[in-house]
Amino acid sequence: MASLQEPWLLENGNLKGCSKEIRHGRTAHNMSSSSLRKKSDLTLVSKVRFVMLRQFLTNLQEVILGTKLSVLFPAIPLAIAAECYGFGRPWIFALSLLGLTPLAERVSFLTEQIAYYTGATVGGLLNATCGNATELIIAIFALSQNKIDVVKYSLLGSVLSNLLLVLGTSLFCGGIANLRREQKYDRRQADVNSLLLLLALLCHSLPLLFRMSGASAALTADPTLQLSRASSIVMLIAYISYLVFQLFTHRQLFEAQEESEDGDGISEEEPVIGFWSGFIWLVGMTAVISLLSEYVVETIEDASDSWGISVSFISIILLPIVGNAAEHAGAIIFAFKNKLDISLGVALGSATQISMFVVPLCIVVAWIMGIKMDLNFNLLETGSLALSIIAVAFTLQDGTSHYMKGLVLLLLYIVIGACFFVSKMPLSNGGIDTIVGV
Amino acid sequence: MESAGDLSYMENGESNKSLMGKETCNNNGGVIRTAQNRSSSFMRKKSDPMLVSTVRFQMLRQFLANLQQVILGTKLAVFFPAIPLAIAADCYEFGRPWIFALSLLGLTPLAERVSFLTEQIAYYTGPAVGGLLNATCGNATELIIALFALYQNKIHVLKYSLMGSVLSNLLLVLGTSLLCGGLANLKKEQRYDRKQADVNSGLLLLGLLCHMLPLMFRYAAQSSGISIAKSTLELSRASSVVMLAAYIGYIIFQLKTHRQVFDAQEDGEDEDEEKAVIGFWSGFSWLVGMTLVIALLSEYVVGTVEAASETWGISISFISIILIPIVGNAAEHAGAIIFAFKNKLDISLGVALGSATQISMFAVPLCVVVGWIMRIPMDLDFSLLETGCLALTILVVAFTLQDGTSHYMKGVVLCLCYIAISVCFFVHKVPAPLDQTIVNSELNSA
Repeated sequence: MASLQEPWLLENGNLKGCSKEIRHGRTAHNMSSSSLRKKSDLTLVSKVRFVMLRQFLTNLQEVILGTKLSVLFPAIPLAIAAECYGFGRPWIFALSLLGLTPLAERVSFLTEQIAYYTGATVGGLLNATCGNATELIIAIFALSQNKIDVVKYSLLGSVLSNLLLVLGTSLFCGGIANLRREQKYDRRQADVNSLLLLLALLCHSLPLLFRMSGASAALTADPTLQLSRASSIVMLIAYISYLVFQLFTHRQLFEAQEESEDGDGISEEEPVIGFWSGFIWLVGMTAVISLLSEYVVETIEDASDSWGISVSFISIILLPIVGNAAEHAGAIIFAFKNKLDISLGVALGSATQISMFVVPLCIVVAWIMGIKMDLNFNLLETGSLALSIIAVAFTLQDGTSHYMKGLVLLLLYIVIGACFFVSKMPLSNGGIDTIVGV
Repeated sequence: MESAGDLSYMENGESNKSLMGKETCNNNGGVIRTAQNRSSSFMRKKSDPMLVSTVRFQMLRQFLANLQQVILGTKLAVFFPAIPLAIAADCYEFGRPWIFALSLLGLTPLAERVSFLTEQIAYYTGPAVGGLLNATCGNATELIIALFALYQNKIHVLKYSLMGSVLSNLLLVLGTSLLCGGLANLKKEQRYDRKQADVNSGLLLLGLLCHMLPLMFRYAAQSSGISIAKSTLELSRASSVVMLAAYIGYIIFQLKTHRQVFDAQEDGEDEDEEKAVIGFWSGFSWLVGMTLVIALLSEYVVGTVEAASETWGISISFISIILIPIVGNAAEHAGAIIFAFKNKLDISLGVALGSATQISMFAVPLCVVVGWIMRIPMDLDFSLLETGCLALTILVVAFTLQDGTSHYMKGVVLCLCYIAISVCFFVHKVPAPLDQTIVNSELNSA
């Protein structure tokens, strides 16, 4: 029985090491998605005889069942079956979307586990690049299938969802739950993120204004492309300096608040799976994410046709909700506990990452692949982005919060959603006309 | 030798040691040392009167000391030979791009010297007039270039260069100051008084509104088919009067009622020469002379900008928006960076924001009014791309400065904004309608 207990102790990480939270790069992302974890109950596994099998099953249980979202895992084999047996294409779309939800959360969990082994800096970097793995993979697949509009819409929708939906619901729920208490957060972190988002807005607006002010479309197409590519390099430089700022020189601004609570199992100081097993799981899950993303991108027009919703609405509203579900839930939970710094870190950090890293990266990848993707996201989308960024920057600039702020941001999101719901404009390149006769 | 010593004593202001005590306990505002004065004072160097004191005749000696103080009193004096070269190039018909480049180089030290002379004259005229002088002449180079462009009916060059000056001050000068200051003071907290930044942001937003109204008016009227050229002009002229009124209000605010918001930080360093180093009339005549030379070089610049653009293959908008303002602002720029290194952000902000406010609320409406008098149809409609850049710039800067602290990331973002805007105008090779006619006439006359 003793040998039975030991691996259990080590795996579950009940040993409270010295407070290495900061050294393990527990950014806001990590802490927020950790609220969706649940402690594995190892009594069933500990009955199995052989040590190797027991370890493997423990590992499996930790990774597959270690989240409340694992109820959605059966959607993955169902999606693959639907693809092989030729079920309706909208079904493939819906099942793939459902299957992506828990996968995104597991990737974040695995990244955090690996970060325990690699140290704080690399861990933070890993999180900064892989934090939005789902959005990045969907975007690259859409790019390879030359569906540039889907790429633009889905990335834009991700930024809007983070800025308005996640932030709005967090502030709203946090405000309602803490009606009597004062809610403060460190505004310097919000200021840096807002500033970077304004730079992104400038880089998006310049090609749009260029197009609108210039002569014919043929004359301005090439300069717009060159301008977009140069702006992408500028944005990547800004993102790299932001990482240097966040991880090296001004880390005190971004440290997640210390956990003073006990026993809700969040501050597990030790990793629960080994480095190599974590790495293998990560590679495997990324492969499954790629497969499901490919299904999503292929079947998006068919789903739009049969459900009667425009492709822009699906890309801007539905896809990001799925991709962000785990972080969203975590941000709300932390707002309930009046830890707004973490909620803000999740929402703003994600938005900054997508607009300053994923979007320019897609343009550079398109440049390499010879696809003409530029930063011109068209008037309606750029206008919504501009107003959202201005609204959020203004909301967050004073360092306190109440439920009214959350309500306003939520209502902004609903209005923008309604706008894209009724806008049934056809895609300009690579897409099928989605105007549906009513 | 004694008289020589006396002279150099008085000229160099070394007697300030005894007078300094009197000055400071009288009133701090004995001399208006605005941020601009202090920042360009870094470009000065103390004249060494040894060589001059060997000359015999007193009059000659005074004259040479004066000359040395004015011509050689700056580190930028190395650019002065460009002036005769530019004049020679024009007379002997060197390539026109050469005239352009040499005139640009020659303007750099002249702009700094005019600021120095204005400060010297301010010692004699008292603080109020001195402050006014500085407020109007602080951007003398940009103003003179603009008036010449107006006179030669190159309205797009005028609009581009003024707008480029605002952008350069707001993004390049401010961005590099915040970046260098942040990197040099990584461990220290960097604060500045946000009230000054707030007032300037407010005025810039007013300027932005006055620019956007004719633009939106033009777009709205285009769709309904009414002919709006005359109404846009009237709207622009009325807005210019409004902007000038706002600027006068700002001057009263800055120099009379709320001076404590704008006083440059006191420093314990020994660079406050409380006395003027040249006489009033000599300063005045130098000022008139230098302004004439600036006018001459500006005429060369405006006259040859198309030829330079053709030869170098760069669009006129890029030259006017990016290159010309960098030259015009070089001295203030270097000063602002140096003060940021010393963690005196109030002065850097005063330089950058004050210049931007001055150009957008004084130089631009003044040009519209002068165009009104000269019957040239100059309006405030700077076309969509430029107004959009201006709007986003003012938004970013207002947001950056509204919390009163700074770190290098703010400087990085502002500099990268400037780079993105420069790239935008670099690829913007659409010729303006007025451009084409003037290029044709130039080619015909050449």
